[in-house]
Amino acid sequence: MFRFKREQSIVNVAGVKFGGQPGELPTVLCGTIFYQGHKVVQDEERGFFNRAAAEGLVARQAELSEETGCPAVLHLYARSIEAFLRYLDFAEEAWSGPLIIDSADPVTRGAAARLVSELGYADKTIYNSISLGTDEAEAQALKESEIDSVIILAYNPAKPGVDGTLRILETGGSVRENGLIPLARDLGMVNLLIDPGVVPLGNGAGSALRFSVVAKARLGLPVGSGIHNAVSAWPWLRHKEMTTRRCCDAAAAAMQLLSAGDFLLYGPIENADFIFPAAALADILVAEAVRDLDIWPAAGHPLQRLV
Amino acid sequence: MTYDGIRSGCFDDSWPPVRGDYTVGNPESGVAVVTLASQIRAKGAAISGPCKTENLGIEKIVANVISNCNIRFLLLCGAESKGHLPGNTLLALHRNGLDEQGRIVGSKGAIPFIQNLPPEAVRRFQEQVELINRIGLEDIEKIEELIAEYSRLAQPYPEEPFQVVRRRVAPLPVLFGEGDLILGSGVVMDTSAWLISSEG
Repeated sequence: MFRFKREQSIVNVAGVKFGGQPGELPTVLCGTIFYQGHKVVQDEERGFFNRAAAEGLVARQAELSEETGCPAVLHLYARSIEAFLRYLDFAEEAWSGPLIIDSADPVTRGAAARLVSELGYADKTIYNSISLGTDEAEAQALKESEIDSVIILAYNPAKPGVDGTLRILETGGSVRENGLIPLARDLGMVNLLIDPGVVPLGNGAGSALRFSVVAKARLGLPVGSGIHNAVSAWPWLRHKEMTTRRCCDAAAAAMQLLSAGDFLLYGPIENADFIFPAAALADILVAEAVRDLDIWPAAGHPLQRLV
Repeated sequence: MTYDGIRSGCFDDSWPPVRGDYTVGNPESGVAVVTLASQIRAKGAAISGPCKTENLGIEKIVANVISNCNIRFLLLCGAESKGHLPGNTLLALHRNGLDEQGRIVGSKGAIPFIQNLPPEAVRRFQEQVELINRIGLEDIEKIEELIAEYSRLAQPYPEEPFQVVRRRVAPLPVLFGEGDLILGSGVVMDTSAWLISSEG
């Protein structure tokens, strides 16, 4: 393991801290609820869902967070603004920590940014995400909102790999006039979380791991990813037993953490039961590995709770 | 059932060359089907499957279609994938092609870029297949009727199958710069070159 020469910033969203040197802070684990195809959802367009089942999933994530010391974030995915309204109403009652708001549709994302501002949730909301696909309308909606925490998706299809991903963040590379980091600052974003964007295995998924180290060395910002996407998009694994698939999910998560990841978008919130222990294990190993590099685990770190 | 692709010359034994979430039917059929965000298992097509992304997913479709010159029609059906809009993007790619940066001209998808296909592959796609735009159609019987109808019209494309060769990534220069990552005991890493060195 290693420490970065550059100072590593720590981002605080509603009391949950992201970033720092490897081994310093426990990994922030973000479980997604109401995602496309989620069994608890009865009507994706209108946002009807099985409330009791959803409460159980959220409570389990909170319980595992408390037990392991890895902070948790609730990642809300919605197909429409009507659905967002219902999901946010649910989250207000069932969840006290930070929220990620997310949709595949930029118009819905922009509307959600306005909605959380009107409802008074902006200070605990992380917008997912600013990317190459962010157009003027979405940028304006985010700028006019009260949100100041954002995930920056650094995926650069015009120049894949570590260098291309850095360029899209810093300068916009060959496809944008300015970088996504300057854009985020222009939009009033204070807390920046970097996500390299994980493509399928065979298309360069592994570069997300090296990018995580390079981005922290160069930018000093918190980095994380949805590396579970590489696992779920792997056709060979799809027909294997659930235990096999879960082992691969946990292994991928641990590899991201060994590669200096500060947070994980770990996918379906049902996966909390095996992701939290895997992440806690990785956090302990990393913390132990950097003991003599003058890095000390923060209060409540899994090293102090579970060993 | 086996198909003698070498004898026919329209596809080789390794077709389809790119792995993905699809079903291979009769490779001698003239129709390929993209069901977008819907899971529809229609019969009669050479290949059929969903496509949820406006970049990598589309690359795979193009690579698998142009490597079989029996395929002359690409049927777009099923529900569009919100935000990503792969259906809209396929239509735009076929109609307008790429700009110099690899962006699919006219696509309304979020990140519509092609990174792994040479320009000739896109031109071949535009020439070899006709797109049948039935986005939103999920009725399996109607889809199978369309497959049968267009398959009857199809004649093999009069050229060799087009095999897409993956581009090689240029190697990084291996010069040690600043040791910006400390591993202890005098060992540092230069993360831009991804080199580890021992100081002193």
